[in-house]
Amino acid sequence: MRYYKWSQQGEGRKIGKLGNYCLYEKTITEGKCEETQKPFTPQTYGSFRFIYGPSAGGLLESIKFVITTNGEKILGIEAEVYKNRTIKISGLPIDDAILKVERINAPFSASHTIAFLLSIEDALELELDYQTLLKRIAEIELERIRNHLFVIARLAETASLNVPTFHLLHLVEEVNRLIGKSCGHRYFFGVNSLNEVRCDFGNLLKIIDITKEFKQIFDGLVESRIFIDRLQENGKIKDENSVGPSARAAGFDYDARKDFKVLPYDDLGFKTITTHESDSFGRFLVRGLEILESSKMLVALYDMIKNNNTNYEKTKESYKKVGEGLVRVESPSGDLAYYVNLDNGIVKSVSLLTPSQVNLSLFLKSVTNTIFTDFQFNWESYGIWVSELGVKLE
Amino acid sequence: MKNWWFIRGLRKGIMTEKYPKELPEWSTEIQGQGNANCPTNAIKDEKWIKEKCIFCRRCYPNYKPNLNPRIYTVKKTQPLFKKSFYLYPIDSGSCGGCNMELKLLSSPEYDMTRFGIFFTNTPRHADALIIMGVLTEKMKEVLRKAYDAMPEPKVIILLGACAISGGIIGEGIPLEAAIEIAGCPPNPFTILEALTRVKEK
Ligand code: SF4
Ligand code: SF4
Repeated sequence: MRYYKWSQQGEGRKIGKLGNYCLYEKTITEGKCEETQKPFTPQTYGSFRFIYGPSAGGLLESIKFVITTNGEKILGIEAEVYKNRTIKISGLPIDDAILKVERINAPFSASHTIAFLLSIEDALELELDYQTLLKRIAEIELERIRNHLFVIARLAETASLNVPTFHLLHLVEEVNRLIGKSCGHRYFFGVNSLNEVRCDFGNLLKIIDITKEFKQIFDGLVESRIFIDRLQENGKIKDENSVGPSARAAGFDYDARKDFKVLPYDDLGFKTITTHESDSFGRFLVRGLEILESSKMLVALYDMIKNNNTNYEKTKESYKKVGEGLVRVESPSGDLAYYVNLDNGIVKSVSLLTPSQVNLSLFLKSVTNTIFTDFQFNWESYGIWVSELGVKLE
Repeated sequence: MKNWWFIRGLRKGIMTEKYPKELPEWSTEIQGQGNANCPTNAIKDEKWIKEKCIFCRRCYPNYKPNLNPRIYTVKKTQPLFKKSFYLYPIDSGSCGGCNMELKLLSSPEYDMTRFGIFFTNTPRHADALIIMGVLTEKMKEVLRKAYDAMPEPKVIILLGACAISGGIIGEGIPLEAAIEIAGCPPNPFTILEALTRVKEK
């Protein structure tokens, strides 16, 4: 492992549970990995349980919430994922494994596939091609913009603000078309392999128009009392075990793009966005400002990416090694890590840490003492994907 | 005046399209000949089986997409749904891709409401159950309950390779469908056009 070391103790911030291990900023440890504590549910006189999900109009994916309430306040909450998929990856050659990794969570497919490939490349000790790494950044930043636009559209929809909702969905569609045009597939399926990205980013500057349009909607939302009243003070939480936009909204400048140097983000120069709101409004603000920041990065990448093929000579022989690799990337919702063991070009074992698993614990904690009317705004503000929560890799 | 949404909406103008201005190659119809190293056996005797294809490009360049997005099969129509057609989406085990593309039918580009197609929040008001993702254990019961709760006449729509054939992840949905919409994920245009076909005579 070139980027991580095994240790008895965690070093740097704690990221979360990675298989049977605990992942920190700089080290991986064996043994217990305390997760955010489950909130305590008091049983008061007249309180009752109310079930939301697993399938309901407001939910995009299948998850069940059991909410304890006294009619107004949410006193306690539990969540149960309903679409658990077991995906078998061990025993597969690298290329076959990629097909499955791509399908863990399509909205974050670039982040998943790139983290997986980087961990394999780490295990194989491959020399990484700079152009490939730049193109990988372009993929992840496009994915971030699409995701944040979608989360903000869901928030606007929850507030019944139809014009911005549809306008934002239009922008999501525009980003999908830009990705489709560049890479042939709207969710980056079939695009990534070892040291190679099959995309032509000649149209990348289209992102300027998209984000200019977004900026106007964003300015409108920030000034809309109808909108911000639903978000401010809703789902307030400051927890140092948080990741991604939820951490940055609470003032923690956690960002794998800066604290894990596997992709050359430093060559682009960008700001990590933080706020001190630590509520749904803060998470919305961080996402909005990150769209603008990612757009600047893509413009810089446009000048740096040469659309010639990678100069890396692929020798299948070099894949036939035994080794372990561990890599973390900043997916749109926070840290995403893969730990793989390789044997002779075959994936022997794989462990995954997704931002949705960390964000779900945080969300559940932040819901207590809010009212049900606030629930949907808080839920959407985390950008949790049940697909990656419910997946069990074998 | 930044949040006078109505004025803004008018100013932006109509963006709805008859046919998408841009289509990505993958997921469109695949044509070709010769050998294919297909992980889902979607090519048999040089014939392409759209329901099994996960659009992984392994068969490229012998087989190539031809930009025809009309990759759905209509098995049954229900003209009673001509004026209004209410869909209840249900995720039995998807990767989120089919969900996103389905959601984008409400974007101005596709604007499904112009065809009298709407989402509903409950299966009790639904004409169609639109299922995406592979069949997962816990969702079996949920699917059955949702189907039972729907009034007659009702139809089932399978969306995406996972729901139709299991794709490369698991098992498909063992229910008889009025429409099967191939793709991984299907393009919103493919979904929209397939849905309008259910309402025909
Ligand atoms: S794209 Fe992949 S799944 Fe589809 S026919 Fe070609 S090889 Fe088979
Ligand atoms: S068909 Fe493809 S996009 Fe749809 S759920 Fe399955 S893997 Fe995801």
